[in-house]
Amino acid sequence: MKVLVVTSGVPFIRGGAEILADSLCQALSVAGHEAELICIPFKHYPPSRIPDHILACRLLDLSETSGVRIDRVIGLRFPAYLTPHPNKVIWLLHQHRTAYELWDHPMAGDLIHYPDGPVIREAIRQADRGLIPEAKAVYTLSESISDRLRRFCGITAEPLYSPPAHASLFYDGSPGDYFFFPSRVTRMKRQLLVIEGLARCRERTRVRFAGEADNPGELAACVDAIRHLKVENRVEWLGLVSEEQKCDLYANCLGVIFPPVAEDYGYVTLEAMLSSKPVITCTDSGGPLGFVVDRQTGLVADPTPESLGQAMDALWVDRRCASAMGEAGRARYEDLKISWEHVVEKLLC
Amino acid sequence: MRIPFVRGGAEVLAKELRRVLVEAGHQAEIVAIPFKPYPPERILDHMLACRLLDLSETACMPVDRLIGLKFPAYLIPHRDKVIWMLHQHRQAYDLWQNPLSDLHTYANGAEVRAAIHAADTKLLPQSRALFTISRNVALRLKTYCGLHATPLYHPPQDAGRFYTRPAENFLYFPSRIDPLKRQSLVLEALAQTRSQVRICLSGPIEEPGFEGKCAKLAHKNGLENRVQWLGAVSEEEKRDLYARSLGVLFPPLDEDYGYITLEAMLAQKPVITCTDSGGPLEFVMHHQTGIVAEPTPEALAAAMDSLWDDRERARQWGDAARQRYDDLHIDWENVLEKLLA
Repeated sequence: MKVLVVTSGVPFIRGGAEILADSLCQALSVAGHEAELICIPFKHYPPSRIPDHILACRLLDLSETSGVRIDRVIGLRFPAYLTPHPNKVIWLLHQHRTAYELWDHPMAGDLIHYPDGPVIREAIRQADRGLIPEAKAVYTLSESISDRLRRFCGITAEPLYSPPAHASLFYDGSPGDYFFFPSRVTRMKRQLLVIEGLARCRERTRVRFAGEADNPGELAACVDAIRHLKVENRVEWLGLVSEEQKCDLYANCLGVIFPPVAEDYGYVTLEAMLSSKPVITCTDSGGPLGFVVDRQTGLVADPTPESLGQAMDALWVDRRCASAMGEAGRARYEDLKISWEHVVEKLLC
Repeated sequence: MRIPFVRGGAEVLAKELRRVLVEAGHQAEIVAIPFKPYPPERILDHMLACRLLDLSETACMPVDRLIGLKFPAYLIPHRDKVIWMLHQHRQAYDLWQNPLSDLHTYANGAEVRAAIHAADTKLLPQSRALFTISRNVALRLKTYCGLHATPLYHPPQDAGRFYTRPAENFLYFPSRIDPLKRQSLVLEALAQTRSQVRICLSGPIEEPGFEGKCAKLAHKNGLENRVQWLGAVSEEEKRDLYARSLGVLFPPLDEDYGYITLEAMLAQKPVITCTDSGGPLEFVMHHQTGIVAEPTPEALAAAMDSLWDDRERARQWGDAARQRYDDLHIDWENVLEKLLA
């Protein structure tokens, strides 16, 4: 098949969505298809630019290329997924979140601050509600994205999970004396909450953090808390680590801690499962809750220092249980058929 | 601007430009907008889509310079835009009513053509500066839109890797096998040469059936032994063929620019081209660095004979061609300096 993967992006910015789009194209080629990525530039401010970009995407014609039919278009991000095509499938990575659940979010909300914000929000919602159903099929990246789509737009979509990059490199080593928390250091990932949880533990639990800080302020706040709570000896701050180091850190930890706020998907959960490790997450963490089965493949705690501390203690004192949960996590990963072959099959059928 | 799944000179050029920008210490990225030019009303849609995009900033940081290359993407607005035009939509200009075009065959063709003219004429002058990849493109812009643009030449890919060797017994014709490149004209000419001129062709086949037509033509004239088809060759093989050839054949119809002329010059070889070949005429100096012939089998045959019969002169013209290349300062530093000024 000739397949176009269509997404939106901000020039010069590369993140998870860009990596996912590239991986999808690669998986399509591996499966023997001709695949190409189209990235339409998107600038979402001032808000009036958003309808312009929606219209621009609606005006593009991807039905054929030099007289040859394009068999399938796979739309990923707003507003590019609105580009029309008779054989379009949407694999929704992102709606425009500040028009939905982040509308009045204290940190993320932006549309809300503009006089024309409410009108634009309505335009975005109408475009999504009216035009997403044009697709032959709609999938999302995760359960939490499906939930939002149902809640806000009344559209049902099956989540279609993608494996993390380098999935085959993860392995199970021997569980050591530390929890592992790999993530960008930022408020939404809640490193600070984990440090506070650590301080509430009865056991002398230890945590290794890996990942770069979004800004120096985040890091400073964590360092302050560590000193203030006197847990210096129980915390290791690794910063940015290589893929190889990361795999080793997963393989040799006792368990993985991943308690973000409303994560869309979260590769950390999957990487932990691939490494046969239990995951501690929180009731409001979003994506991880689609994978972590409480007390079977990990622990789902309340987002409080006390509750997180208890979860860490529980795994620390019962290492056999921790290891059994880890194995159950690995088995669950296999059951979920999280593979590019599966993704490609679904998106092209 | 790009047509999905089609990789041509324009895509290569965009990547090269990004590479040299990055090497010069700038942050550079390619934005490619898909383009489908049929039915004609889709052209208008794509023009409007480009006008609606906002590339003024990216994540709150200003984009300092926008370099527009192809229609209609070069219409994207930006306060610091410079256009380095690869080409306009030629079917609305010099290729209007050309048998190879189809815009004029649609009921709304004339209307869409007028809209393209209006957009180009009105919006191109909004850029800070207007360059073209060749004098030929600038000339068309002057003729059809009354706009003045400066040609800005750039080197072919891997320019530093071309070299020369003593001439062997063949003329080399590297090009996509395509009616616009006129392989069939060269074969007809070959049938009329006095000497036993031999040619060697390489290049991927663009139009299904055209190769067959050429092969039949070669057969009809009993030229099989004097024509060698190599199909697509690697860059290394190509440079080797340039180096060992007696001269290079490049008689396309109104080429925009034409790397082949430049590659031949880098390999110190004379070029045979035609009076209606466009781009090559900016570089080939008749009877100094090659031969400019009428686009007829007779004239081309005479040109081929003339190189074949006087090897020493062919060698001198090749040397002069290389000298001319060096004199023209065709380098990326110059291109960047102009585009970023």
